[in-house]
Amino acid sequence: MSSKILTPEEIVKDFKQTFKSKVKETKIERKTVGVKKKERVTIWLKAEKESLHDMVKHLKNYDYPHLAVVSGNDLGKTIELIYHFTIYYGNPLHEILINLSVELPKEKPVIPTITDIIPGALVTEREKQEMLGVKIEGIPDSRRIFLPDDFPEDAYPWRKDGKGPQKMIRDLYEVKK
Amino acid sequence: MSKMSYSLPIGPIHPALKEPVMFEFEIEGERIVNVDFKVGHVHRGIEWIGTQKNPLQILPIAERICGICNISHPIAFCIAVENAAGIDVPERAQYIRVIVAELERIHSHILWAGVAAHEIGFDSVLFLTWRVREKVLDLIEYLTGNRITKAMFTVGGVRRDITEDQYPKIREALNYYKEMFNKLKHVFLDDKTVMMRSRDCGILTKKEALELCAVGPTARASGVKKDVRVDYAYAAYGDLDIKTVTPDAVTGEVKGDVYDRIIVRLLEVAQSVDIIEQCLDNMPSGDLTAEAKPAKLLALLRKTVGEGVGRAEAPRGEVIHYVKLTGEEHPYTWKVRAPTYNNLMPWVPMLMGEQIADIPIVAASTDPCMSCTNRVTAVINGKRDVLTHEYLHKLSVEKTRRLMQ
Amino acid sequence: MVLDSHDWFVLHCFRGAVMALPKSFKRSLWVFHINTGSCNGCDIEIIAALTPRYDVERFGIKLVGSPRHADVLLITGPVTRQMVERVKTAYEQMPDPKAVIVIGNCGSTGHTFHTSYNLVGPVDNIIPVDVYVPGCPPRPEAIIDGVVKAWLKLETLEVKNEQ
Repeated sequence: MSSKILTPEEIVKDFKQTFKSKVKETKIERKTVGVKKKERVTIWLKAEKESLHDMVKHLKNYDYPHLAVVSGNDLGKTIELIYHFTIYYGNPLHEILINLSVELPKEKPVIPTITDIIPGALVTEREKQEMLGVKIEGIPDSRRIFLPDDFPEDAYPWRKDGKGPQKMIRDLYEVKK
Repeated sequence: MSKMSYSLPIGPIHPALKEPVMFEFEIEGERIVNVDFKVGHVHRGIEWIGTQKNPLQILPIAERICGICNISHPIAFCIAVENAAGIDVPERAQYIRVIVAELERIHSHILWAGVAAHEIGFDSVLFLTWRVREKVLDLIEYLTGNRITKAMFTVGGVRRDITEDQYPKIREALNYYKEMFNKLKHVFLDDKTVMMRSRDCGILTKKEALELCAVGPTARASGVKKDVRVDYAYAAYGDLDIKTVTPDAVTGEVKGDVYDRIIVRLLEVAQSVDIIEQCLDNMPSGDLTAEAKPAKLLALLRKTVGEGVGRAEAPRGEVIHYVKLTGEEHPYTWKVRAPTYNNLMPWVPMLMGEQIADIPIVAASTDPCMSCTNRVTAVINGKRDVLTHEYLHKLSVEKTRRLMQ
Repeated sequence: MVLDSHDWFVLHCFRGAVMALPKSFKRSLWVFHINTGSCNGCDIEIIAALTPRYDVERFGIKLVGSPRHADVLLITGPVTRQMVERVKTAYEQMPDPKAVIVIGNCGSTGHTFHTSYNLVGPVDNIIPVDVYVPGCPPRPEAIIDGVVKAWLKLETLEVKNEQ
């Protein structure tokens, strides 16, 4: 576990000092729950895609990060990947959720893998390859994970442009003539 | 070195484990040397369906992602939308959410205890535990109207109230479970055969649990204290007095094997009973929802622009939902991650080096909810031979009979 | 030879008319269960029907592990693309006479998943179905009622054969 628990402001300051201009935007959100109004904290970070691998390594200085999932958005000209990490689990009411997002250009959606730092990221990285058409360099196993093997090669279910799942959609209530 | 390929569906009558899991093992003699898995057979395209409907229509879909972790997915989705739109949930609604979520945890853990007993070979324990489970299903039907799909939540609160005149029945059911708990503990933890089959079997070390991002009782039994209710409070958990459950409370040490996972789940049943009592004693008064009229709620959500992340603790581990709203009728993106996804990779170190007869109990000990995940296959060179589940279950039961002599 | 669902239906009726049911059929019914992508809600209600409160084993109904031993096929879930071949194989492996029961709304019409990119039609587009048990999920009492209706249907087929 961690030796010392930093406040969210200290973490954001540390990131900005280490990575300087690679950190594009930051936001700290605080919400309260219950009658006693306990707090929970979320940090949103936007970064350049070249610095993703180093930033994940830097998170290890605070605590071994827990990768919850990687979500993705198709934003027209770019594809956005959001990595959801949590640190300081095991300390009641002090866990911090860190959402680290990077944008990849659609002509060349390539990003290096983080399975050398966190081996458990393999399942979610394989899912992004088949759902969004992102190419992950250095991934140890690049087979399809959820889609069947006979699904067409260029149909990516989460894309909103011409490469979406349009031709595979069926209405189950249709009556065949 | 005999190489055989086994396509292995697990559990003849466990509903969640039946077809969806296909393992391929590489076997040398009786020991496993390599494990590979292939998942995806329950993929219904839910995240794509969610982008064609408005948030209130997504709630019934979120419930039917998994019939056993039936409360956790709607809670996480509601929290994500409430974070994105800035809606505050009234305090009484937060306490009611906790009560229903803990009732679900009791029913799910008792269901799993019966399945684990069946995999070891004690069918009578399966029938005992599922009969015990009927009491909590009666209580759920009394409070919500249905046994399985409860439909209690909406964005901004809950749909039904739990009033004072319903308290006596809840307390009666809780007292029943307090008495039953000692009996269940005696049947599972004090039995020599259960200990022989599950001690030092399917071990997941603390380092492996951290690196593979395991969640839920699988991680807690290996000594990693991950519990969303305690660390990152949601609903009313911030007010309550709860601690993360680890197996050293009973045995004094943490080994990370199947026996530890049984301990963690049984202790969590007792913890849930305690949590419900705390909620009933401290229930605040107030509204049930932030916005009572659905048309006004939809109009508010249609104007929202923002992103939100919601996390909850299902009986199997952490559930996380991500929602992006862009001021339209339907959300732009909806990402769902059910807890069994993170518990797929820990199967590999747990099964290496084990005997074939132990495959059913080790695979069932992580409590996989197959409607959230897919298959597993193991590769064995040379001959291709198909082993049915019946054969593996028979091997597991025979091993128990041998140990009992 | 490729058969579509209409051909399967005709073959099923033909087979039912030609084969006479064995007398022992009136005593016990063995059931095989397939999950083609359901949320498991219907599956746990099927298992709950076996437990002491509803207890169908006293009627002789038993869950078996292989379709070759079964009389009745219970199907839950909207059929995903990965499961289509397995459903057809299980149906072909079952010996005559047989009945197919679809449990839950997903297999009957698709329910909340009615428009998707990975689902292949409700069950009756793939194999002929005898009894539908609607509900999300149906209660164990409704499932027992469905199995009894399939039983009666098979017995009336037997009576017609003997006439």
